[in-house]
Amino acid sequence: MKSPFKFLSVLFIAALLLAACGPSATPTPEKIIETVEKQVTVKETQIVEVPAEKTVVRLSGWASSPSETALLESLLYKFSVENPDILVKYEPITGDYKQALLTSIAGGVEPDIFYVDIFWWLELASNDVLLPLDDLMSASGVKKDDFIPSLVDAFTYNGKLYGIAKDFNTLGMFYNKALFDKAGLAYPTDDWTWTELKDAAAKLTDLSDPNKPVYGFCTPPDPGRFPAFVFQNGGAVMTSDFKDTALDSEAAIGAAEFYTSFRAENIGAIPSDLGEGWQGTLFGKGQCAVVYEGGWLIPYLRDQFPGTQYGVVMPPAGPKGEGNLIFTVAWGISANTKNPEAAWKVVNFLTSEASQKTVLESGFALPSRKALQNSDYLKNNPNSAAIFNGSFNGAQPFFWGAVGSDVNDQMGKALERVFKESQPVADAMKQAAEAIRKAMK
Amino acid sequence: MTAFTKNRKFSEAITGYLFISPWLIIFTIFSVISLIYAVYLSFTSYNLLKPPQFWGLEGYQRVFQEELFLQKALPNTFKYVLIVVPIQTALSLVLAFAMDQKLRFRRFFRTIFYLPSVTSSVVISLIFIWIFAPQGIFNQILNLSVNWLDDPRTAFYVIMGMNIFTTSGTLMLIFLAGLQDISPSIYEAAQIDGANGPQTFFYITIPMLRPVIFFVVTVGVIGCFQVFDQIFVMTAGGPLDSTTTITYLIYKWAFRDTTIKMGQASALAVVLTLIILGVTILQRRIIEGSGSSAEK
Repeated sequence: MKSPFKFLSVLFIAALLLAACGPSATPTPEKIIETVEKQVTVKETQIVEVPAEKTVVRLSGWASSPSETALLESLLYKFSVENPDILVKYEPITGDYKQALLTSIAGGVEPDIFYVDIFWWLELASNDVLLPLDDLMSASGVKKDDFIPSLVDAFTYNGKLYGIAKDFNTLGMFYNKALFDKAGLAYPTDDWTWTELKDAAAKLTDLSDPNKPVYGFCTPPDPGRFPAFVFQNGGAVMTSDFKDTALDSEAAIGAAEFYTSFRAENIGAIPSDLGEGWQGTLFGKGQCAVVYEGGWLIPYLRDQFPGTQYGVVMPPAGPKGEGNLIFTVAWGISANTKNPEAAWKVVNFLTSEASQKTVLESGFALPSRKALQNSDYLKNNPNSAAIFNGSFNGAQPFFWGAVGSDVNDQMGKALERVFKESQPVADAMKQAAEAIRKAMK
Repeated sequence: MTAFTKNRKFSEAITGYLFISPWLIIFTIFSVISLIYAVYLSFTSYNLLKPPQFWGLEGYQRVFQEELFLQKALPNTFKYVLIVVPIQTALSLVLAFAMDQKLRFRRFFRTIFYLPSVTSSVVISLIFIWIFAPQGIFNQILNLSVNWLDDPRTAFYVIMGMNIFTTSGTLMLIFLAGLQDISPSIYEAAQIDGANGPQTFFYITIPMLRPVIFFVVTVGVIGCFQVFDQIFVMTAGGPLDSTTTITYLIYKWAFRDTTIKMGQASALAVVLTLIILGVTILQRRIIEGSGSSAEK
């Protein structure tokens, strides 16, 4: 009597264990639900229609906000209505996206379509993880010319295109209208230069209230802001082949001198001086009269500081003309995908003019098609238009090659040393350049 | 008869293993296999995108040529251990001693002191970020205007202070258990011999607690060498690398850098393991060597 019971209990535990192991083998919980459903339909009805033949395409990206996710889901729904033979599975990644994506690539289970950030896209393209899109593109009659040139260049490697820009941002000069009025200054225009910026910063600075000092211009030690000044001064962060850094060139040092001079002359501040991590908050609070930020500041101000009266123009030109940074994310297709055509269909749909118009009008992002420049939305929203137009003149992608994170690190640290340890600017930039060269070896 | 017991023993063993198998499977997959794999990876060049390529000791060489490791991570980690371990051990011992006395509200205080240990380290980190913000309560009380977490001279000490604050509760609990293990008759004997409070503490309590002290210091040293989450949340290794420790550097190389250096990061992980192993052995020698009367 005893032993069969024991045997049964062992079996039972083993079965429990197997059941417990089952789900972990499948990557997403949705999958389980689906197989269950299929089994049920097979049992109940004899005729199984499309589902078995549907081409499944997995699509992944980070989930930045619920409303943005909802927008993408609505676009994917439209796609599914138009293409009943393709089933798109949206698998958003919360948390560290790059880490999750790279480990899924290492494990050979990456999605067919995924977001590719400009900052590290080349690492993927040069390791043959991304599919070149040129042939698929020409086969379906999509022209590269339809997209903003700098965004096409940004994702081109060895003459091939590896990603279609989903949307982008550039830096705009945000200015607080109330503070300009208070200082008796005329609002800035697109044809301002460094001289006007400096003059305005001096006049806008008001330190009379120690509890709420107002600085004319905020200059965070941020590698996502400072390079615009380098470009405006005719310099570069990296040489054109990305084999060397140009941060110790005269143009870059000159730009750093100018950038750090605001704080040195007490007409500018870094966010931590004022107890904040981000200058966007200080702009909303009216403690930074002028900041360089991307389009993401617009919804932030709308939500957090709805009363702020502000405008956006393109950043003032420097001695060598205009310069700006482009932040962009593309749709990339995995080189290992089993259904490149279906994946391309999805990407093509998401970057079509109709889809991009929906995205633009939702106010979340600036899509990548040139034709949208003349859209009613941008005509009615001059602030967004300033950010959109920033991508045309002298704008360069936020991308520094294979050692990009080191370059960012060093640029930020060089500025921090100038700000916090009063290191001479030229020394700081040279030290940064040395460190970057070491990292390249 | 013997066959029966053997059979029974065997099936009991099987049942036993089946009961611990959920843990065993998880432990094997996530600890044993990953550990072996990490050692293997430390001899390869691996960027996650292409299969790992064997390159011998190159990864170890690179670790020892890296300035960020030699000048920041290594000294920072040792500094952290040398400051945090003695303070948290002493503090928790004193707390335990106080909590062992017949005080009013003893249970209440025990709970209070233990509370930080059961709170998530991320939550505590966030609380400390706000306390030490430029307009935070710490500056307001002392009427200072120091940007604690953004100043390379102070940021690391804030993190140290926070960790002392959070871990001493757990260590206090271990010490309390150790204190209650000491037989009251020894204290009575000391009292009869005319020993005063401090004398009892230094000549009876501490020697009797030696094995517990060894345990607490060992656990503390290992924990301190592995400090990561608080740094990840509070400073991300900055400002100016002043809070970059070995574990943070491993994370940075393995996941943060544009070009992933999984091999080099694994090499550093192995180096860290060896450091911890070496220090623990050394510590055992020192503590055991300085007197074995209280050894159990």
